[in-house]
Amino acid sequence: MLDEPMIQTGGFRNTDGGFELRLRLPYYRGLWANLLEGATVEVDGEGFPADAVRWTIGDRSFTIADLREPSDLRWPVDRPAVLSVPRDEPLAVGEHDVTVELGIRMSYIPEELQPSIWIEQRKLVITR
Amino acid sequence: MSAPAWEYGVSLYSYTGEFGVTKTLDDVIEDVADLGATGLEILGEAHVEDYPNPPAAWVDAWFARNERLGLTPTCYGSWIDTRRFPGRDITEDEAVEQLELDLRLAATLGFRYLRPKLGVVTADLEPHPVWETATERVLELAAEKDVVICPEIHWPSVIRSKVVDDYLAFIDRTGTEHFGLLMDTGVFQKSMHGRRGGTPMRMGNGGGRPPITPVVPVSDLEDVLDKVVHVQAKFYCVDDDLQDHYIPWAEFLEVLHRREWRGYLSSEYEGDYATGRAADQLRRQHALLRSLSATL
Repeated sequence: MLDEPMIQTGGFRNTDGGFELRLRLPYYRGLWANLLEGATVEVDGEGFPADAVRWTIGDRSFTIADLREPSDLRWPVDRPAVLSVPRDEPLAVGEHDVTVELGIRMSYIPEELQPSIWIEQRKLVITR
Repeated sequence: MSAPAWEYGVSLYSYTGEFGVTKTLDDVIEDVADLGATGLEILGEAHVEDYPNPPAAWVDAWFARNERLGLTPTCYGSWIDTRRFPGRDITEDEAVEQLELDLRLAATLGFRYLRPKLGVVTADLEPHPVWETATERVLELAAEKDVVICPEIHWPSVIRSKVVDDYLAFIDRTGTEHFGLLMDTGVFQKSMHGRRGGTPMRMGNGGGRPPITPVVPVSDLEDVLDKVVHVQAKFYCVDDDLQDHYIPWAEFLEVLHRREWRGYLSSEYEGDYATGRAADQLRRQHALLRSLSATL
């Protein structure tokens, strides 16, 4: 089961060369990953652009640039995506302000109202 | 006149925000049976595990569960994502490939109806022209699988519109029995319901406004009802006194009854997000619909 917020409580951690967080798809169906416009991430006011983020869904990993090519990659509605963000220093242990803006192209909504952008801010904790 | 000939179903769309968060697929399907419905509608891309290639064990469990609960698969929702690839529209071949994939999967799971949600090309929601050429190319497969393709008449589109005229002309021109209309009752909403809850979302630069649409009289349904193969009984709120202030159910059911319409009223809750609210609202709506039907 996933957490109700788009930004998941678990999965926020330092990694070699950056940090990770998990998102659930805040939408009612799974998607061809090609429909993703990407996600920007902000931690305590420090911004990370969408093209810096590496995505992992299941056992497959990709960048937004990869999605310009046709692909059968999917983001199921009941599975989280792991966003890997490069950063020189590890995030400090403790609470952080995390904001994510996720953009997705909807074909059935007039183009001038697109993309659809979900925005969420949460406090997340780095434990080590 | 005979008793109402329709049956009651639920679309799993109703549990958006809870599916995968507080409820599993088993939970939501059990709930549909528990509230007394017999028709089960799903969204292929939401509810089929490992879409578009579900494991054989999942398919076996699908049929076993439906048999145990007395549920019949009704409509399978699909999408033609015309903007799937950045910078270009999908090709006709790509649209055909998507439609074929969903037709085969819907048939494998025992569905009779397939609702493709179409990409649009104008502010007033004219569908991408690929719908017509691609649909024509899969009509033979639809006939072979005996699945009826039914695009929806859905707010903010109205019944008396070019898009609906084009669908009807397509049926006339091809003579197909495997294309029809899906009527979404949100078209008849008397006022807009602002949905609360869920992750905040904006569309585009945020400057867009929801379209202003006329109130569609239920009498317009009479023009197209003989081509309507499935009803998505869209609703937003049934209050504590079992009143729905948005959708005119009594008028709607009167037309269906007088015209002896057969098919499923498949409930689609689209009100506020809150844990447990969909299950409660679905029960209220079914109580309301069944009460009104008993007076016809």
